[in-house]
Amino acid sequence: MPSTTAKTAMDDLADVERVLAGDARAFEGIVRRWQGPLVNMAWRYCRDRARAEEMAQEAFVRVWRGLAQWRRASSFSTWLFAVAANVFRNELKRVPTANLPIALDEIAEPAGPALQHESLQRKSQHDVIRRAVLALPTRYREPVILFYFHEMDVGAAARSLGLPEGTVKARLSRARELLRRRFPQLAEEHAAMESGKEA
Amino acid sequence: MPHRRLEMNDESIDRILGGEEELIPSSGFVASVMDRIRDEAAAPLPIPFPWKRAVPGLVLGCAGLGWGVVELARHAIAAGQAAQTVTINLPTSLLQSRETLGWVALALGVSLVSWWLARRMSGAGAS
Repeated sequence: MPSTTAKTAMDDLADVERVLAGDARAFEGIVRRWQGPLVNMAWRYCRDRARAEEMAQEAFVRVWRGLAQWRRASSFSTWLFAVAANVFRNELKRVPTANLPIALDEIAEPAGPALQHESLQRKSQHDVIRRAVLALPTRYREPVILFYFHEMDVGAAARSLGLPEGTVKARLSRARELLRRRFPQLAEEHAAMESGKEA
Repeated sequence: MPHRRLEMNDESIDRILGGEEELIPSSGFVASVMDRIRDEAAAPLPIPFPWKRAVPGLVLGCAGLGWGVVELARHAIAAGQAAQTVTINLPTSLLQSRETLGWVALALGVSLVSWWLARRMSGAGAS
């Protein structure tokens, strides 16, 4: 019995063949299987739900148009994510995300005393840090977005970006350095968590 | 220890950025994508550029342009060479007619008179 990944790959291939043979409805299978990943990927690029869906829709349309150009050398998902990354990058270049800091220094430090509830405070801090990724310079932002989107798989992020793994690793390291410098309290938070575990 | 501190921070960043909640696409997402796909499928194919018809015209146009450039260059070179060989033979042209000679004599006379008057007015001739 084939694994889920292998089954998905087989289903993708079958749907692509049907679409290329002229059956446009077969594309629905592809959309159903990949809507979640593509919307989530778009969300990480813009942090705006409505826009994420619009961008994901645009990515699906581009995939539809370029289906014949998919070389079977790589898996369908690899090609799909590479196309989507390209679409999202260009969309954000065309219309930058509104209400986002344009520089890392403009991001406010996560608030402390105002938020009494600890979990709420932590959620807010984490949200600020996630939004801070969007303020990173483009060359560092995308590797971070795709690395965490691909569940910390450098190879997958590199394939989506069309960059060597070494380049992605170097950019990730620099991006983390920038985030660490901007949010020094990350270390304190981690230390507090560790001490909590030990207790 | 700085190395340990760095590791801790990387773990924190990984935990925060990696532990994001999954977003569920809205219920109408698939339908709206498929609407656009259907529109795309129904749209007539873009008319391909008629290369077969355009190539002879493009070749002729390029040839004409090339010929024009060559001709222009040829004329420019010829004009340049001609400009180098022009010699002004003033005495010959002056002797072409008596009328011309008269005018030259008049001009010389006027120049001489002007020179003489200028000397007189400046007092040089008085000394």
